[in-house]
Amino acid sequence: MFRNSYDNDSITYSPTGRLFQVEYALEAIKQGSASVGLVSKTHAVLVALKRNAEELGSYQKKIIRIDNHLGIALAGLAPDARVLSNFMRQQAMSSKMIYNRPIPVSRVASEIGDKAQKNTQVYGKRPYGVGLLVAGYDETGPHLFEFLPSGTVLEYFGAAIGARSQSARTYLERSFESFADCSAEELVLHGLRALRDTLAQDKELTIQNTSIGVVGLDSPFKLYDNEEVGEWLEKLGDVGSSRGRRQAEEAAAEAAAASAAAEAADTDAPTTDAPAADDEAAADLPAEPIETDD
Amino acid sequence: MDHMPENWGRPRNDVYGEYQSAIHNAGQGPQSRTQTPSITGTSVIAMKFDNGVMLAADNLGSYGSLARFTDQERLIKVGNETVVGISGDASDQQYIELLLERLLIEDNYPQDGHHLRAPHIYEYLSRVMYNRRSKIDPLWNAILVAGKNDDGSPFLGYVDLLGVTYSSPSIATGYGAYLAIPLMRKIVSEEADAKNVSEEQARKVIDECMKVLFYRDARSLDKYTVATVTLDGEVKMDKNVRCQNMNWRFAEGIRGYGTQKQ
Amino acid sequence: MTSIGTGYDLSNSVFSPDGRNFQVEYASKAVEADGTAIGIRCADGVVFAVEKIVSSKLLVPGANKKIQTIDRHVGVAYSGLTPDGRHLVDRGRSESYSWRGTYKVPISVPTLADRLSGYVQAYTCYSSVRPFGVSVIVGGVDDSGPHLYTIEPSGAFWGYMGAATGKGRQAAKSELEKLDLPNISARDAVKAAAKIIYVAHDDSKDKDFELEISWVSTSETGGLHQFVPKELLEEAERLAKADDDDEDDDDEMDED
Repeated sequence: MFRNSYDNDSITYSPTGRLFQVEYALEAIKQGSASVGLVSKTHAVLVALKRNAEELGSYQKKIIRIDNHLGIALAGLAPDARVLSNFMRQQAMSSKMIYNRPIPVSRVASEIGDKAQKNTQVYGKRPYGVGLLVAGYDETGPHLFEFLPSGTVLEYFGAAIGARSQSARTYLERSFESFADCSAEELVLHGLRALRDTLAQDKELTIQNTSIGVVGLDSPFKLYDNEEVGEWLEKLGDVGSSRGRRQAEEAAAEAAAASAAAEAADTDAPTTDAPAADDEAAADLPAEPIETDD
Repeated sequence: MDHMPENWGRPRNDVYGEYQSAIHNAGQGPQSRTQTPSITGTSVIAMKFDNGVMLAADNLGSYGSLARFTDQERLIKVGNETVVGISGDASDQQYIELLLERLLIEDNYPQDGHHLRAPHIYEYLSRVMYNRRSKIDPLWNAILVAGKNDDGSPFLGYVDLLGVTYSSPSIATGYGAYLAIPLMRKIVSEEADAKNVSEEQARKVIDECMKVLFYRDARSLDKYTVATVTLDGEVKMDKNVRCQNMNWRFAEGIRGYGTQKQ
Repeated sequence: MTSIGTGYDLSNSVFSPDGRNFQVEYASKAVEADGTAIGIRCADGVVFAVEKIVSSKLLVPGANKKIQTIDRHVGVAYSGLTPDGRHLVDRGRSESYSWRGTYKVPISVPTLADRLSGYVQAYTCYSSVRPFGVSVIVGGVDDSGPHLYTIEPSGAFWGYMGAATGKGRQAAKSELEKLDLPNISARDAVKAAAKIIYVAHDDSKDKDFELEISWVSTSETGGLHQFVPKELLEEAERLAKADDDDEDDDDEMDED
């Protein structure tokens, strides 16, 4: 017998009205590395953390350009994202072909939402296993949408999906009120700061693992990869997680305290309390999730 | 005896082989589609001016040379800031009106601040017209689309049953292409000329053109509609306008038509 | 639900020995977990209001509309799985689209409700699909006046003067019963709707919510379904808040 007999397909409700297969698909997003998106009054920015399956392998693409005014960042099953991005490209092209108009961001976002919903209501299909951040600029300004496998599409000032994205969200929630008046550059830096908070302790943002997409008023969607990311990382300065940094600082403080304590062993100088909670916090960190972006 | 009536009077299978039913099902001849229009509307004329675009079309629906309907409206407001003028087949016009109505309804669904404006509607109609001509089943019309560009400047475009498209600061369909365009080009020949023409001046030329067309085009009417799309996003429809100060004295001198003996 | 786990609740379209389709009942549970949606049939139209639970402060206020339009004259509000609601609205749009192509007039609201409920019902008949996880309030104005219906996940549909679904439906329904239906004016109905959503909202469970109100009325919108003007929404919300606070005060006094 199955552990939970209501979770074998996406068309069976649990007695509480939940769709477990759809909820599990939402979990698949967290298996991928993080993507972060944010908007100002003039620009929309995507930043994402790329992974490589092995040392000699290439890094999995995380940001995909859809049209001149539009791009997506993904977390979860990359092949599913490719299906959706191809669909979005088709939608964007037909908007140009039929109406001579760049497709409104909100409309292409809800199109994929409606497409995803179908997979949750028919037997023999599975929900998409990928979350997308859709960022674009149209007549009504810059927009950021979060797409989920459930078919939910919501517009955000800032959003983060993927592994440890809660840390990025925490950063966004703390600082989103200042986004509106940011320049494109400041917005990218906010994005990178949010993104680096999703890093595992010993990891850093590098030109290999960081992708940046920018779109805005009079600036078509531009994707920065590899060497082009370098200048952004220089502007960012510290490329490690602030959480990792905090731990490093605390470790240093601890060491300093220990040596100070040793020095002050003879005297009655007060010793610094080494926060014991740190080790616990470190232990709580989730292990690097399996590579599903590849 | 063969009790199947459908087999009676046919070549006998046992003598001539199985009857080819394709012969029976062949119909009257090759499949054909609309080759000619029936109820038609004549010219639509339009020109840009400093603050927008002005169009005119008369209210006649002709059945060949018969002036069959005298209350046809051929200028259609599409959304809040676009006017489409249609000449040619009236039933195809009605179909185009249905397409445009559905288009607007769908465009309104998301309520996201996006609205189809003249260039978008023009592109859409161009696709429809070219598609149908490629199916060798054209919508028998020539269409003008007038409104505002994305940058707020006046927009005017033409598309016809062949899918031919072009833009110009003054355009006319049908007979208007010969009779009205020269008059309109007197004041708006180049794109830049439109900036020096006021709404009043444009109206004067439009009225003059409609009068000339009524004089010379035997499928026209002296009752017409003038639509004005202004850049502040307003559409005025001036209906049941009549040609003024006409003089038909010269008609007495025309010979060779009608009932005169000499 | 004593029959849970007896195996008759694992597949759609299967009756249990006592004649129930559990999957349909479970779908209704999804409805009960979502924010309240109400519809009011007033003198010359229909007013919709929804309580949109704000799950994150990063969400753009005013975006992410939940009330949708079918054709020009019909509004839809629903509680439950939002993507399912969008699916059903899409179906309604196709119905009205094809109706218009055939008859050159807008589809009547009763016909639309009938066809939509047929569609929902079909999703209870096959093991290859699941029922819709939404209760949908459909309303609008047509030649025969204002209409308001609710379609349940089972495909059942009922006409209403005031309808409510979602978390706060019980509280909302008792508030709706106090209104002078269907004589209330559209404008008054908007204010009443705002008040009802505030009453139905449970502060203890969900902190933040956004109020969304739309209407379709002969006198106010010329028979078109639209969101109410900003000023009216703000006024309605202000009155609703004041009222809500008063009641809270009263409660406190009662406790004293």
